[in-house]
Amino acid sequence: MIRWFLRGVSRPRVTTRYPRGEEPPPSGFRARALLEPEAVDREEAARLAATCLPGALARDEPGTLRLDASRCIGCGLCVDVRDGDPTDAIALDRGYELAVRSRDRLIVGADRREADITTSPLGGAFRRSLHIRHVDAGSDGAVEQEIAALLNPYYDMHRLGLFFTASPRHADVLLVTGPVTTPMVQPLRRTYEAMPEPRVVVAAGTDACSGSIWSGPEVVGGVDRVLPVDVYIPGDPPSPIALLHGLLLAAGRVQEASSPRLHGGASADAARAGGAA
Amino acid sequence: MIAWRTDTVTASALAVDLERLGGRLMMLFAINDAVPPAPPAPRRELSALVRTADGLTRLRAPMQGRVYPAVTPRVAAAHWFEREIHDLFGIVPEGHPRLEPLVRHAPEEAEVNLPGEQDVRLEHRGAERLAGPGVFVIPYGPVRSGVFETAQFLIQTGGEDVAYCAQRLFFKRRGAERRICEVPLEQAVLVAERVSGTSSVAHALAFSHAVESLAGTEVPPRGAAIRRILAELERLYNHLEATVRECEDASLSVGQAQFAALKERLHRLAGAVVGNRYLRGAVVPGGTRIDFDAGAVDLIGSTVADWARDFDRVLEILLRTDSFLDRLVSTGPLSERDAREFACVGPVARGSGVDVDTRRDLPYDGYPAFEIARHSDGDAMARMEVRFREVGTSLELIREALVSLQPGPTRTDLGPLAQDSALGAAESARGETLYWLEPADAHTLRFCKLRAASFVNFGVFNRVFDSQVLTDFSFIEHSLGLSPAGCDA
Repeated sequence: MIRWFLRGVSRPRVTTRYPRGEEPPPSGFRARALLEPEAVDREEAARLAATCLPGALARDEPGTLRLDASRCIGCGLCVDVRDGDPTDAIALDRGYELAVRSRDRLIVGADRREADITTSPLGGAFRRSLHIRHVDAGSDGAVEQEIAALLNPYYDMHRLGLFFTASPRHADVLLVTGPVTTPMVQPLRRTYEAMPEPRVVVAAGTDACSGSIWSGPEVVGGVDRVLPVDVYIPGDPPSPIALLHGLLLAAGRVQEASSPRLHGGASADAARAGGAA
Repeated sequence: MIAWRTDTVTASALAVDLERLGGRLMMLFAINDAVPPAPPAPRRELSALVRTADGLTRLRAPMQGRVYPAVTPRVAAAHWFEREIHDLFGIVPEGHPRLEPLVRHAPEEAEVNLPGEQDVRLEHRGAERLAGPGVFVIPYGPVRSGVFETAQFLIQTGGEDVAYCAQRLFFKRRGAERRICEVPLEQAVLVAERVSGTSSVAHALAFSHAVESLAGTEVPPRGAAIRRILAELERLYNHLEATVRECEDASLSVGQAQFAALKERLHRLAGAVVGNRYLRGAVVPGGTRIDFDAGAVDLIGSTVADWARDFDRVLEILLRTDSFLDRLVSTGPLSERDAREFACVGPVARGSGVDVDTRRDLPYDGYPAFEIARHSDGDAMARMEVRFREVGTSLELIREALVSLQPGPTRTDLGPLAQDSALGAAESARGETLYWLEPADAHTLRFCKLRAASFVNFGVFNRVFDSQVLTDFSFIEHSLGLSPAGCDA
């Protein structure tokens, strides 16, 4: 055991200072698409919508392009198809902070104004500490590992007062992953009902936010078809920092993500990364 | 390009023919063309793929009615395949010893059993259903304590000894096989990547190998080398995940933190060189969508070198920690006979002495010869030792691939789908991953059958609890390293 002790104390500190310090993503990170819908004509809108498997890029009624970032898996096929095209209408966001309180904030379209940033904390009762119960409602399994990574020395979520709990009866937050498969509807509802109030539902991952690439009789298509969702954390899978941002948003300790609008909406950092892509 | 011999047999003789053929049953599936979109001449047939010493054999058995004599009594490895076929196609394997819902649970069976609530409905398991004073069932799942994927285990116990453990899966079935055929061909690989998100590369590779066979496309050498780097990186972080979980089970906090930090470094490397921490969006039919510039090659090379040094140091301490070894040695034994009989794959099979590795058996993407790690003990420790040795092999394969990176394109344009069927395979960290594809025309797929490694390895879950106690459960589970997402698809 002394060897473990020496190993433990001999290693440098690696823990992030997030959210007090910055944690920049690597330069080529593909978090989600950013769109300037006004810069896309009808023909281009049809071409781009056809590249998008989860339907994040879709055409609105008048033929203009709309981006629903709650469906985006960051594959980048839309950016690939425009390779060499000088018009700067679509780019990839490398940002980690993607969580929002309302799905509307993740949608940009020509005739649509994004909802304002919500700053009001949820209840306010949970600012210091959150106990989290996770339920897998049909995920691909990677989100679970990213959630578990919150306990590793790089993220160490306990320093922020965040804890996992085995029983839903002790939980403040229900952290749901997956597009909600049909057999998981009842277990998910029953876990929610077992939680004391006030309670918060967080959808973690693009498939939990919207169903994403999955559709058909096997899936319901997003947690908010079953339960009222308070925080959406898109991402395929959401990175540990993205998960921390979403959980802290549930606690009312950070601000919502900016909208996925290419110019103006996104943070300066994200727009810079997008411009370079 | 994987070649096989095809024999057509009658459905009534399928079981006898499969038993006579011997070898390892890789897949058994039904093709039912009556499911739309139906081709001009609809078929209803069973198809079995078997690996023998002579290579691959496909047995096709056209179905007249809906009933045929079950294969399972003669070839045990067919047990889950036949239940799956029964659930999805209504084809009845007559004489199957345990024909109960596998894929489709009745609604009341899908209900959660929260701790303390006694509304358990025991599966009808025939002879293996236990009864007697003091025997009770612990329903573990589908919502389990901790952050785990959804699965349910019905543990029958008298208190400490596990008398029987029944696994119930397919809570997570998302219909991936159907989705793969529904979506445009160039986007279908994105679905395959999300079947088992921790084996995205292996699933993308197996799918892409099948599509490349259909189209007769060759992957350029640079693309193949990048694929090997990605596949081995993926193997590393999955083997680390198993190690982290075992340390957690053994309450070895420092070990858990050290291995978790090592795993995190690999995900950060993945995020930096591919743009996704689980290496998605890189492998496509025809090669790779991404290329590594000189900076990426240097970053991989230097990260892997540092990482290997740190891993070796921590592993050395772990292998000298008695409290860890005590919990794994002789825990969850899987005999070589069972591993062969149930056609196990990956570290689970190799830990029980079975010499099987897709990278050598169905070669792809220019893998050089390497030594395949095996162990004869068959316990949890043997499976972990296989993984530890494979970490070394993977590091060596990454170094080799980095050196062999030649300038050139990383992908070839895909031609029309000319063959009428193809098999794609890849070795994920969990074992052999298979995709069987049939095209509808030159640019669309009509049929997809995928078989993740976890589908077969989950099938032996109830075989490894012989004389085990409740507190061994998590050690056994994590030494098997299973992916419910991959199994359920």
